[in-house]
Amino acid sequence: MKNFAVLQLSGCAGCEVSLLNADAWVDQYNLAYMPLVTSVHDVPEVDLLLVSGGVRTDEDLYKLRHAVQRAGEVVAVGTCAISGGVANLGDRDEVRELFIAQARRRHVPHLLPKSHPIDAFVEVDRYLPGCPPMSHLFMMVLTGETEKTLARTVCQDCGRKKLRDVRPEHLVGFQTGKVDPDICLINQGYLCIGSSTRGGCGAPCTRAGHPCVGCRGPSDAFIEKESAVWMKSIARVFKGMTDIPEEEIQTGLRSPQLALFLFQFSDYADDKATIRPKEKVL
Amino acid sequence: MTRLLFPLSRIEGHAQVAIEVQEGEVLSAQFQATELRGFEYLVQDAPADQMPVVTPRICGVCSTAHHVAAVKALEDAYEITPPPLALKIRELLMLGQLLQNQATSLFIFTMPDRLGVSSIFQLASDAVTTDKSERQLTEVATRALQVRQAGTHLISTAGGQFIHPVKAVVGGVTGGIPAQQAAEMRAELEAALPIACELFDYYWEISIAMGERLGTWGDDAPACYLSAIAGRQPNFYGNQMYVLSSSGDACSMFPARDFRKYLTYEATEYSYAGHTSFQGEVIRANSLARINVLHDMGTPAANRYLKRFTEAFGQPAHAILLFDLARGIELVYAIERAIEILSEPLDEGDPAVPHTPQDGEGFGLVEAPRGPLIHHYTIEDGKIAHAEFIIPTVHNMLAIERALRVAAERYIDAERVNMELERAVGRVVRAFDPCIACATH
Ligand code: SF4
Ligand code: SF4
Repeated sequence: MKNFAVLQLSGCAGCEVSLLNADAWVDQYNLAYMPLVTSVHDVPEVDLLLVSGGVRTDEDLYKLRHAVQRAGEVVAVGTCAISGGVANLGDRDEVRELFIAQARRRHVPHLLPKSHPIDAFVEVDRYLPGCPPMSHLFMMVLTGETEKTLARTVCQDCGRKKLRDVRPEHLVGFQTGKVDPDICLINQGYLCIGSSTRGGCGAPCTRAGHPCVGCRGPSDAFIEKESAVWMKSIARVFKGMTDIPEEEIQTGLRSPQLALFLFQFSDYADDKATIRPKEKVL
Repeated sequence: MTRLLFPLSRIEGHAQVAIEVQEGEVLSAQFQATELRGFEYLVQDAPADQMPVVTPRICGVCSTAHHVAAVKALEDAYEITPPPLALKIRELLMLGQLLQNQATSLFIFTMPDRLGVSSIFQLASDAVTTDKSERQLTEVATRALQVRQAGTHLISTAGGQFIHPVKAVVGGVTGGIPAQQAAEMRAELEAALPIACELFDYYWEISIAMGERLGTWGDDAPACYLSAIAGRQPNFYGNQMYVLSSSGDACSMFPARDFRKYLTYEATEYSYAGHTSFQGEVIRANSLARINVLHDMGTPAANRYLKRFTEAFGQPAHAILLFDLARGIELVYAIERAIEILSEPLDEGDPAVPHTPQDGEGFGLVEAPRGPLIHHYTIEDGKIAHAEFIIPTVHNMLAIERALRVAAERYIDAERVNMELERAVGRVVRAFDPCIACATH
């Protein structure tokens, strides 16, 4: 039986909850370590180590370095492990200083100046993006499936109809309610980026009437490029389908709920984009 | 002085317990939350209308509660009232959250303490050391996952995405639930109900056995009980804050926006979480706080369990291991109540009312599985000028530490530290089902 472990760094535990929903592993794999559900306090030797959460504290860093030594294969799971995650939204000078000053405590692990992706410190064999990744994607990682049977983009899974003659002039924001159930959200003025977001999630958000915010990251076409290329392609889609001014789109894309995910495969803070080869990304 | 450090597991997030002892005397018992992301800072300047998508990332276990609280806070600031259909769908969301959470806490977090194993997933290695056969454990695990999965499916049905839902929006919801989908969900819940009851009966039995074996149900001194259920029947959508006094006869009721007049928050040096008190007294939130004020669950099976509970333990009941049993009553309630709502038409009527955003202050209150959760925003130029998250686990901190001290005093004397203490620490903390990602945010 394959042994696996889940190392939880600073995150929200949504990834772990998603894994628990994939009940098919229970009698096929031995879960050797996952503090959320097992009382084992040290990572044993395992075939596979799933790491969720970003490196936010000195303790995260210590645990990560320690754990990878005992693992055959290392998988970065979810936005936080891949990019540092939602904690990066605080990576603005004025916010960061205030926050770090206020956070100082004597008896608990110390915060690093910023949140880091795990591959800033250790080698990663595979990436499983999503916030969180769907349960069936976890199963694919466990079974070692590499074949790309997944939809290329969220659009392919969404099933909404794109109309030619409905061209909105402005974005409507994210909170307007009363969404037409069949028509493409772009036609309805939503900043949906499903057209170039990595497929595989089954498009649960757009199907439910909320624009895709891109949690699965860029599709293979953009994943090895810096985020500017992805953003340009999104701008092109909107130019083709709407009369929304380009600045409106750009401002929208840089707003927190999208920035969180748009930059996950290229370093958010500085320009040195770390390329993750697409073969490694599920 | 000796400082005993206990790592914690089978709870949400990163925390540890530190107990200081001198010559057999317990000097202090501290619950230390050891992680922090800083949401109050990182949402500053974000467009207010992105809170319903950003704030669920505070916690993947309680995300639905944050999603709904965020929408309610914006609606409070914009002064709008969502239509009845939206309220029903949001109630379903909260029930899905409750169902998923209580199933996880009961069967994944605390069941192993009753069975003497380290995890319900730890098959081969542990089965040898206990009399439970490997197969039985696998069966418990599979059935437990099936029940909690029904909760996740309910969240997806009502909320779109399964962990970080998206369907609640300012003014209502993005849409109803088509009849076919509602019927499928209902069938899944109907199948889960008897399994949940069976698992809970078993859980009840092994809890009683554990209580007898240990000779205690833990800290049973009175405390104030805090919830957002201001009424005799459950309502997880949240309306008013409600405190039952420790004497059990006086109640205070207040709107979320007045919370600061009643609840005193203090930061601590040893934890990223801090704690709150009510007029100088220890507060308890979560399942027992609710069950202690409810006279009628409103659904048949849950009512039978409530009756069994109050007959056996009284009302209000105070022993901390009763939090766990109270969770079981709510698990059954969540399934039954969701079945009721799913039997009504959920695709008729307006899903949302139109609105115009405006600057101002908003409070969003829900009763999350762990107790009352408040999102408090100040909005300027459509952006978050100030955000505050008032988290139920923080209300429980003093109660957790008091119960830890009771356990420490029981198992530590001048001669030695009884090995049982480590297990007791785990049981105490898990009874409160704390959520550290939320508490520190
Ligand atoms: S752009 Fe968005 S709404 Fe439109 S088809 Fe693609 S995923 Fe669906
Ligand atoms: S639709 Fe978009 S935001 Fe939603 S789960 Fe899929 S990739 Fe993530």
